[in-house]
Amino acid sequence: MADTLTQTHESTELAVPWNVIVHDDPVNLMGYVTFVLMRIFGYDEKKATVLMMQVHQLGKSVVWTGEREKAEFYTQQLQAYQLKTTLEKAA
Amino acid sequence: MKIMQTLEGGLRVDMEDGDDWKILLGILRDAASCDVKLADRLGNMVTAEEVAEDWKEFIIPDLDATFDADLAHVSNSISAARMESAGGPGPLWISKDDGFRWYSALNQARLAIEDKFHFGPSEEVDPAKLTTESSGAFLRSLIYTNLQSLLLDRVMR
Repeated sequence: MADTLTQTHESTELAVPWNVIVHDDPVNLMGYVTFVLMRIFGYDEKKATVLMMQVHQLGKSVVWTGEREKAEFYTQQLQAYQLKTTLEKAA
Repeated sequence: MKIMQTLEGGLRVDMEDGDDWKILLGILRDAASCDVKLADRLGNMVTAEEVAEDWKEFIIPDLDATFDADLAHVSNSISAARMESAGGPGPLWISKDDGFRWYSALNQARLAIEDKFHFGPSEEVDPAKLTTESSGAFLRSLIYTNLQSLLLDRVMR
């Protein structure tokens, strides 16, 4: 009777993080963008202002990075506040 | 039109004549003036293949309903206040709880104007080069911006 050899193989992959990106537009007031970032993410005013200035000066800013479900939630929230927002896999 | 802050943290907007009511009604007209609705303009920016389909099916209709509800609320507020004053001098009250809905309606109007006329940053616009139609839209956008600034600084924070 032949022996039976059983092999098991396990692999674990890290989930790919997603970026939430706010894009610049000429309509939304700078103070409003700061206000929304503070309200949604709980950022303090200093951090929210830095991100807002990135949006204003660089055209866009990654305002949050993390798991996909949360990224989708935050993107939906930011769009509900009428900010131009996208999400994409982090490089 | 004169605007004052109330003791309850809202705004009192005093209309001086019928033209002031027309300015407020312009918010609703401007918000609806873009061929593509705001929810679609925002939602269609999400193009990552893993999420784009869900966005179209679930998120865009949800955003659309939210934005429409804000406009309907503001429309009802204007209509009720205008009726109360028979379209002449009289107040319109914006409570603290209503602050964001008004901000949203004004933003929808300004985003639609921008989408149609592409003014860019207001400080870079030369009013002398605008047509009659675009000049009117630009002035309305400036009025809406001033009201938004008051809402943000005095009501929403």
